[in-house]
Amino acid sequence: MKLKTGSFLWCLYLDKLYCLLSVRNVRALVEYFRLLDAHRSHTLNDVLFYHFLHHVTNWTRKQIMNVFNMLDWEAVGEIGFDQFYMLVCIVLAHENHLEEQFIFRHSRPVFELLDLDGEMRLGAESFQKYDFLFNIKKHDLREFYRDFDITGDCHLNYKEFKLFTISTMDKYQEKQKEENENEEKSLLSESTA
Amino acid sequence: MEEKPFKAMAKSLSPHDSSKSGSKGDIRNLWTRATLSQPRLNIQLTDVYEDLDPEDSSEDWKAGQWYKQPSSDGGAWEGWSERTAEAGTRQEELDAYTSEELERSPQRGDVEGLEDFGSKMDFDASVSSVNIMKHTHHRAYWREQQNRMPLPLLELMENEVLEILTKALRTYQSEIGRDHFLTKQLQRYIEGLRKRRNRRLHVSAH
Repeated sequence: MKLKTGSFLWCLYLDKLYCLLSVRNVRALVEYFRLLDAHRSHTLNDVLFYHFLHHVTNWTRKQIMNVFNMLDWEAVGEIGFDQFYMLVCIVLAHENHLEEQFIFRHSRPVFELLDLDGEMRLGAESFQKYDFLFNIKKHDLREFYRDFDITGDCHLNYKEFKLFTISTMDKYQEKQKEENENEEKSLLSESTA
Repeated sequence: MEEKPFKAMAKSLSPHDSSKSGSKGDIRNLWTRATLSQPRLNIQLTDVYEDLDPEDSSEDWKAGQWYKQPSSDGGAWEGWSERTAEAGTRQEELDAYTSEELERSPQRGDVEGLEDFGSKMDFDASVSSVNIMKHTHHRAYWREQQNRMPLPLLELMENEVLEILTKALRTYQSEIGRDHFLTKQLQRYIEGLRKRRNRRLHVSAH
């Protein structure tokens, strides 16, 4: 997914530690939502939502409507500001390659979003449906099921999901550390040369 | 969310936030003195956050509504309670001044002392009322400044929203028809937004 360069969302940024917007950004987002709310209902219906996401991202219609169904957790056919804020944080986390951090920091809300049928368990199909959103790789998921599916039912309850987020976060941090070390080595070798 | 957006707001809206307190410290002092003589010190949250944009006369949306969330009240209004505390301090200073005056004039006749004291209080009251008038005029200005978005960002948002809503209007027209009330409502809204944008561009050009 790529955010449209120069769009309003492209100007926003997440706090890297908490993966949330700053107050200033929230203030701007409130204003933006208010402008989009053409019917003065404090919500966006599916048409407005579709055109908004179609304008700012390169998602397909199917992906956009999957996101809408995921966020419309009360099944009213409209998205309020809370859900809109959540969506923007997810989109920005994806854009800035902070998915692992975001899922780690907000594992409960993400779990509840992915748990579409309310069974408090996530199957492989939930992850596959939203892999474009959270960048949860099949390979990592298979490994995790092998190592951490304590209940053995090929579904993740919240505790298992939390373990999964911790494990992906650890891997992400190790990868970051390796990349930093490689960068330092290359800088050192350049300076000595 | 594990850390709700408004909790994040509460964390960020610390009275010790240096980016805000440095530039607004004088203004807050002005605000406290301006409200001293008013009978009602407890101003509603929505009153402070109401949109003062004169162009938006048809809107009933108030940005302050988002600030009605209970978890945000404490954080957002830490600064406000600080200002009302300063108002209390100012009152204490006045009280201290009056008690000093009473101590300084023990030898005078009671009446004279009272008259002098009364005239000094009148003078102070008149000075403070003049200051209050000045500050009251400025208060609306500063309130508006605090609510306003930066113009370039506002323009970017409005242009983008216009594009999005224009495409949405075409979908409405094809799916539910031109005569549907939602289509007409959206059309009116888009026209209103365009007029506002053109007015702003016209004003900035001149």
